[in-house]
Amino acid sequence: MNFKNYINTNTLNLDFNPNPSFIMHLDINSCFATIEQQVNPFLRGKPLVVAAYDSPGGCVIAPSIEAKKIGIRVGMRVKDAKEIFPDVFVLTPDPWKYRSVHLALRKILLSYTNNLVAKSIDEFVLNLEGYPCLREKSIKDVAKEIKLRIREEIGEWMSVSVGISTNRFLAKLASSFHKPDGLDEININNYQKVYSGLKLTDLSGIKSRNAFRLNMMNIFSVLDFYNSPLWKLKASFKSINSYYWFLRLRGWEIDDFETSRKSYGNSYALPKPFKDLNKLSPILMKLVEKMSFRLRKANLKTQGIHLALYYRDGSFWHQGVKTSRVLFDTRDIYKEMLRLLGLSYLGKPVREISVSCFNLVKAKSSQLEFFDDVLKKEKLTESIDEINNRWGEFVVYLAKMVNTKDYVPDRIAFGGVKELEEFTLE
Amino acid sequence: MIQKIDSPVSVKLVFDSKEKRVFPEEIIWNEKVYSIVKLGLHHTFKKGKVLYHAFSVTSKTLFFKLILNTETLHWNLEQIADEF
Repeated sequence: MNFKNYINTNTLNLDFNPNPSFIMHLDINSCFATIEQQVNPFLRGKPLVVAAYDSPGGCVIAPSIEAKKIGIRVGMRVKDAKEIFPDVFVLTPDPWKYRSVHLALRKILLSYTNNLVAKSIDEFVLNLEGYPCLREKSIKDVAKEIKLRIREEIGEWMSVSVGISTNRFLAKLASSFHKPDGLDEININNYQKVYSGLKLTDLSGIKSRNAFRLNMMNIFSVLDFYNSPLWKLKASFKSINSYYWFLRLRGWEIDDFETSRKSYGNSYALPKPFKDLNKLSPILMKLVEKMSFRLRKANLKTQGIHLALYYRDGSFWHQGVKTSRVLFDTRDIYKEMLRLLGLSYLGKPVREISVSCFNLVKAKSSQLEFFDDVLKKEKLTESIDEINNRWGEFVVYLAKMVNTKDYVPDRIAFGGVKELEEFTLE
Repeated sequence: MIQKIDSPVSVKLVFDSKEKRVFPEEIIWNEKVYSIVKLGLHHTFKKGKVLYHAFSVTSKTLFFKLILNTETLHWNLEQIADEF
């Protein structure tokens, strides 16, 4: 039933959604670390971290449940994790293991519903409304069955936290209540009790600045937030967000949109703080090659590029340009990127490079150029891509990248799901 | 401690048609026979068009990561680790 049926003409007295819960949010607990423990039983029950690099400055991207219990957190440096627990085991990511588990989990979930969205490598949202699995079982029993099947079909060490509600936001919130291996529901019968136990900043999307905005309108708790009329929220947020929050907290769906891909990008955290152009440009080319290879594989070209640099001192520089020509060849995109790199603060040690392209266009027939043989270029890139597709990436590469073998390894984007489409659809 | 190996290895792989289950039962490496007691994870990946199967397994005392190249049907030992 649509929320419009429940809304008064002035939209101020919307009640909590009385419909049954059909939305399920699934989250693999400490995903990468748990998968590593599944892979190697000797690691089970021990504090371990998966880090971008195993060197002291490497960033922890996934601590195991045991490591979390002793205070090791995502984003810490390896040396800090070792200070907390000197014998912590450090592993570097093995993306194909994680993708494989993601696909296995997707296969299980697809046997319950086709209305499924992968929010990231370790998070799925299912809508079970109208699906046969709910004819004989409650949604909680379906969740229990999924948990069991994950243990039987993927691995006995794998656990997921499940949240159930009437919308995606509350289902995700519910999934965070009892980690690991939780199963919680937020519905019309318990939302008041649940909200009374939460702080404003426990809500995903409410951090200190938004909390401050709400505080300015005498909203100090989630229950206050829920009980606030829409005009009060409008005065706090001064945007359409006020309305979205008004609906979210009442269990009505407002987050069920999917954005289409508008850009391709790759980034790389440098193992050493490089600052001169000679060191940075080969890495830049490798990033551009990775990005443009994916772009061409999707049968797209670009008319806009963007470069961002994060420096060791915490500062940030970025610039994007729309290009007059349609680009597809790594060399042409690299030339434009190099031009942008020249505009940055060269001489300052760089921590991370990020390249992306936007203004994507379908790769149909090409605009011929007066001085450049575009068709020849197309054939050359097609041939190189075909060889790399057949024999593996970077079998044939540009000379500039000759010493970059150890740079820009395969990684899974944080929170991103767009790259998952690329290997899922293959 | 985990050690990278990259060495050819002999593997006895068993397929159970009833359970639809594949299990590397035994490996011979460095002229020693290791009975496999547990399969941690089986996953696949591609390098170019070649499909590889990765079997992460353990004997009583060691962990092994075995890779099967489906084009050559050759096995490679990629990693070993002992109990930590």
